[in-house]
This record gives sequence, structure tokens and C-alpha cells, in this order.
Amino acid sequence: MMTRFQLLLVLTLSLLLLGGMVSAQTDPGVQSGNRGTGAALSSVLANSPSGILSFFTDGQTRFETIESVSGNAQGNNGLGPRFNANQCSACHAQPAVGGTGAAVNPQYQFFSTGVVSSSGNTLPSFVTANGPTLEARFPFFFNSNGSVNTNSPNGGVEDLFTVTGRSDAGSCSIPQPSFATAQEEGNIIFRIPTPTFGTGLIENLDDSTLLSNQMVNLNNNVGVSGTFNHNGNDGTISRFGWKAQNKSLHIFAGEAYNVEMGISNELFPQDRPLPGEDGSGGTGDTGLVSSCLNLSGTGYPEDTSNFSATPNSAVLDDVSAFANFMRFLAPPPTGSVVLNGQTVSSSTISAGASLFASIGCAVCHNPTPGTTQVSNFTSSLSKAPVNAYSDLEIHAMGTGLADNVSQGTAGGNQFRTAPLWGLGQRIFLLHDGRTTNLITAIQDHASHGSEATIVEEQFFELNSTQQQEILDFLRSL
Amino acid sequence: MLSRFLSLLITLGLLFSPRFVGAQTAKSATPPNGGDFAPNPKVLNKVPQGVILVKGAWSSASDTVTPVPEGGSLANNVFTDRYFGISYTLPPDWEEKYQGPPPSDSGLYVLAQLRPVDSFKGARATVLITAQDMFFNLLPANNALELINYSKDHLQADYKVEMRPSPTKIAGRSFTFFAYWSPIAELHWYVLATEIRCHAVEMIMSSRDTKLLANLVLDLNRMKLPADGEPTSITGDPVCIKDYARDENMVARVEPLFSEHKVNAVPVRIIIDKQGNVRHIHFLSAFPDQEKAITEAMHQWKFKPYLQNGKPAEVETGVMFGRAPRRMPSRGAAPATTE
Repeated sequence: MMTRFQLLLVLTLSLLLLGGMVSAQTDPGVQSGNRGTGAALSSVLANSPSGILSFFTDGQTRFETIESVSGNAQGNNGLGPRFNANQCSACHAQPAVGGTGAAVNPQYQFFSTGVVSSSGNTLPSFVTANGPTLEARFPFFFNSNGSVNTNSPNGGVEDLFTVTGRSDAGSCSIPQPSFATAQEEGNIIFRIPTPTFGTGLIENLDDSTLLSNQMVNLNNNVGVSGTFNHNGNDGTISRFGWKAQNKSLHIFAGEAYNVEMGISNELFPQDRPLPGEDGSGGTGDTGLVSSCLNLSGTGYPEDTSNFSATPNSAVLDDVSAFANFMRFLAPPPTGSVVLNGQTVSSSTISAGASLFASIGCAVCHNPTPGTTQVSNFTSSLSKAPVNAYSDLEIHAMGTGLADNVSQGTAGGNQFRTAPLWGLGQRIFLLHDGRTTNLITAIQDHASHGSEATIVEEQFFELNSTQQQEILDFLRSL
Repeated sequence: MLSRFLSLLITLGLLFSPRFVGAQTAKSATPPNGGDFAPNPKVLNKVPQGVILVKGAWSSASDTVTPVPEGGSLANNVFTDRYFGISYTLPPDWEEKYQGPPPSDSGLYVLAQLRPVDSFKGARATVLITAQDMFFNLLPANNALELINYSKDHLQADYKVEMRPSPTKIAGRSFTFFAYWSPIAELHWYVLATEIRCHAVEMIMSSRDTKLLANLVLDLNRMKLPADGEPTSITGDPVCIKDYARDENMVARVEPLFSEHKVNAVPVRIIIDKQGNVRHIHFLSAFPDQEKAITEAMHQWKFKPYLQNGKPAEVETGVMFGRAPRRMPSRGAAPATTE
């Protein structure tokens, strides 16, 4: 029998807890309103210089084109023999073509839609219906007895699917990498697609601008330093990809076409075997089997310039068309934020932006790391502020986020500061899409060896209202 | 006859060799073992989690005996760093939940990042202990005081100065004290900086609770560190001299040849013994191939013996290899008033 005092105590505690729940901070989540993301830059929309708009629209069409292995009458052949998806927009879809992974994972549907044959492929267990669209890598090679050789770094992409069993793939039959064992041994990491909106502006930042911005960033009292990844060919700062390993949008597109879709092109002219299939890791293997080469029947590279095509834009190879499409995509517009059915006030968003800077987030997630050079493409890329919320540096992110994959000069613990523009409409967060919750993503910035630990601590030193303001602000981006 | 038989045998052998079978029998998709494949592993072993095994440029040293800045450790609630001669007792219920990042290629060390334990019920705060190697500092400052003044002059717009950089004494050593705060975040930062072995060593305290910060500052008086002019250990410190590895101080010098990694900055601190030989090499940030090349080169370096008050003395200096980052121009070499 509960006494009156006990009842009062329970009621009081309940109210206190309820009060706590009401005031506790909440990620407003993915903002559903149409912000106009996915449009071309204004000067491109104005077709300035003349003809550029057709290159944008042509690039977008190709970005969405479904590729076949062979026999496609429109010539969209060359898929595989290994691949993660059969069109660029399968991965770059959210919230518009050119973005990041969608809520419904197309990879999960590839069996039912006939993209992947169950005769020769099984669905890796980490590919889920509503999980992130993924790329997988094995940090280390396997020994011949199946154990992981941690002295033999791999880190290359292990494509999820093969063309084996497809009616347009002839007699090509190759096995998928050993995903189940890799999972069992903890020898697998994931990456989600990086959104490409506004990347033409990032591409047109001069190294001197980035280096000057680094000087500004170094003047901080939160323990952040940072450095740049560099392109091995010319030694300049590279800036695309989760580790800033790619120099340009052309390289980004060419590599993805080759690695993610298996299509050889003018930048990566051969079909790509898995790292071990090419002899790495001491396997002694000698590349793809002959029955899986030249599956398109057109020779190499599978994607080339189309010398006699008309109009002008059709002359380009696919990779150049993809690069133009991404280059001419406008940055993602900011927008209003709805939290629990209520539109958040602009003053709250503004306060969140100030707090974001005050606690040190903006040291790395720099709102505007600089202004672009004069562009020879189009005026919207000229002398334009790049409001990317990134310094484009690579930073040590600690054991919690480390993936033990080295790319360029970035080590297994280093990642490029993810540009936050467009964050309001992203579903999956961090490099591997491990969370959909901003608060978890912020927490995960802290771990042994991370430059962001003090900033993360300072976020949680703020009161609930202030933390909420930051979350609201982030979803306005 | 025999040769025809032999050629038949060789052909049959080739046909039944595993790789030839793999190439010709297209429908056979049996995964091999090793590389990207381990379909039926005989040995399962887990990759250690929470360990960075694939490192990029990292710190290391030519020996494990000579203290290095990043070699500090926390034991029994006391943070100790032998290189700087610092010993700091944490407040009760405080911890280093997460250790700091490796040294940067611009010479920044996060020596310790301290905070109350998660279960602590009182006001929260952080104590960040950093050291900026002044040999590799990219900001226009030559010493700890100039670094603090630069920080004060370039505070972000929403920060307000609470106390301009002022000289003070902590545990018998000269420090510069500087305080600022963010009105919107209601966070305060108290910064105490001193210079040890040509590093700006900073204690950066942050909290919304100024009383707690004041107590943390008072607590610092219990810290053990070398008094002004005193060495960090009884064996004495090398004399630290910026850019000492110049032609006029050297008898022999061989440049390292980088064959693999060439585009990163490789800051290196060395200690030159009384005979002019490099006795200790500390790589703040280098790839293994760069460490090897630099080590091989530096073993051939020979300096003129350095004399301090007429007696040979060890010298500590910094050398930047690889792609040296651009340093912002200094406004002058104003001496640090804390020295």
C-alpha cells in the first residue's frame, strides 16, 4: 500500500523525468521540405556561356543511366565484372540526383530487380533494405588459411556484386569476396556515398586559399591541428572523397565509374580486379580471368569519347559528362527546420550557428574556408564563397572512427572534415553511415586519438536549450 | 615417340592445373583462399578493435630512453611528462577519458585532455594541456607570449577578452595568463602558457563555471615543473636553438632521399651530443620510409661542438624535411617577457 508520501514522491519524480524528456535535446531529423537541392548553378541555368546548360542536362541524364554488361542498344555497356551499383544515381540520390544514399537502399533490391543474379551472388548481410547504401573495404588481406594478416594492409574496395549469372555476362563466373568471414573477423569497413552538390566550388578553391585558412584554424584552443592530403602526381592538395584522396571531379568520377560500376574509362582504362586478384597481398594471382574481360565486346576502355556524335555534349565520354554535371550542381540551399511538427524560429537557427562556432566546431567545419578562383567554366564558379562547413583538411579522428584504410597520405585514423552543407537532408551520418542521429554523430567525434574530443566535450557542457539550437542549426544546412 | 608422349603429358598437366582450370572453366566460381577470399577459413582471428594499425605519418624516435614530448602518462591520478618535467595531480573524480591525437606536422602536441568522470555530479570543465613546438609553429609567433598575444589579437568575433595576457607565477615558474569567454555559449577559457625547451606549453581550462576555473588555476600551484632557468631533469637539458642545422654550424651533412612519400611535411627534432654527432632523432610526423631515409642521412651529419660558457654542451634543434608548410610572416622577434 503506497503511502501518501510515496505517491507524492512518485508523482514528483515522474514530472521531473517528463520535464527532462521535454527539455532534452532532439535531432530534428531529415528535413523533408523541398529546398531546391539538385539544381544547376544560376549561371548554368542561364546557359552562360552558351551551350553549358546542355552539358549539365546531358551529364545528369548519363548520371542516371542504367548500365548493362553487354548488348545495350544505346551503348551503355561495360558494367562489371564487379560492381556496387549500375548507375551513379543509385548511390547519389538523396535528397536529389547527385546527393548521397537514399532511405530505401537500392542495393538490397538488386536481386529482385534483376541487376544481380542469385546464381553466383548472395546478398551480404550488412546490405539492408533501409540501411545505408554501402561500399565495403577489407583493411587487411587474408592469409591462405583464412586468418587475417594484419601485416598486409589491403584497404581497396571489395565490390559487393559480380555479373555472374546475368544473361548479358556470357560465361563470366567469379566469386564475391568473403564478406561473411570478413565480418566475423572484424576485417571490414564501410563507406557511404559523398554528396556532390557544390563540388564545383570546392574544386575551384586554390591551394593558397586552403593554406591560408589552415593558418586561421591553427589559432585554436581546442587541440585541433590538421593537415592536407596531397595528390601523388603533382603534389597539390587533393580534396574529394572521405579522406580527401581525389584531386578533381574528373578523377572522382573516373575512379567511381571504374571501382563502383566496373566500367573502364579514359582515366582508368582497364577493368578492375579486386586488390588480391591483381596479385596484391601476396596472392600471386594475375588479374581477372579471361572469361570476364571485355564483356561488353567493344574493347577498352569501355567508356570513350564519341568522336562523331552530335550535339557537342554527346562527344564527351561519360566520365567527363559526370564531372560536368557534378561541377555545375549548385550548393545545397539552406532551409527551415521542423522539429516535432513546429517550424524552428530563425533566431534559434542563428543562435545555433553562433554556438557552433563558439564551442569550436567551426575550427574544422569552417563555414566558409574561402572564395573560389576565377572560373573558366561559368561565372557562378568565379569568386564565389564556398560555404561548405569544411576546411577540407584531414584530421586524426581517433580509434572510434578509424577504419585502418590509408589513402594518399591519409592514415587509417584520418578523415577529411565532412562538408556539412546539405546536412539537413542527409539520412545516414559519418563515413560509414553508422548512425542517423546527429547527437550520436557528435558523440562519435570523441575517442582515443581524436582531435575533436575537447570540442565534443564542450558541446555537452552546453545546456539542453543550447545543444538543441546547434542541432536545429545543423538541420538547416 | 617419347617427345610426343611428353608433350601430351605436359598438355594434360596444364589442363588440370588449378589456374588453367580456373581460367577456362568459366562456370566454376570456387573462391580461392587468401587475399580477398577466405570462404572456409581454417583459422579465424579477430582484427583488434579500437587500435590504429594502419598509420599514416606518425611520431617515433630513434631510441626509447630519451624522453619525448608525447611520452606523458597518467598514473594514480597524476599526469607526468618527463620531457617537460611536468607533474600535475588531477582534481578528485577527474580522468583522461580519451587520450589526444598524435603530434601534428605543424608541431602541436595534445599532451593530456582531462575532465570529470561521467558520473561526476558537479559543474563540468576540461583541462587541455598542449605544447606547440616553436621550431615548427606556423603562426607568426616566436615564443609563448607572442603566441598568446596572437591568440588574443585574433579571437573569433563572438569571444570577449576577460583578462588580457598578464604575467603570473605558477609553482615558481613564469606563466602568461589570458582569459576570454563566449557570451552566447557562456563558456570561459583560462589559458596559462609558459615556455619549456622551445615549446609553448599551455594549460587551457574551459568551463561555464568561473569559480571552478578559479579553483583549477589555484590547484596548479601544486603542479611540479621546472622553475625559471632550471632544467627539466637533474641531468640537465640540451640548449635549444632554432634552425641550428645551418652550414656554419656543420661539418658534414647528407640530405635524405625520399623514394616513396614526398609530399608531406616531416618535422624532426634532434639532440646533438657534445662531440657534434646526432645522438637522438625524434620524428614528430613521418612515414616509416622517411624515418629510415632521415636516420641514414643524419648518422652522417657532423656538427661543430657547441660551447656554452666555454664548455661543450648538447644542442636540441629542429629540422623540417619534405614539403615544408608555409609559415605566416612574423611581426618581429620580440623576446618573451616570461623568459
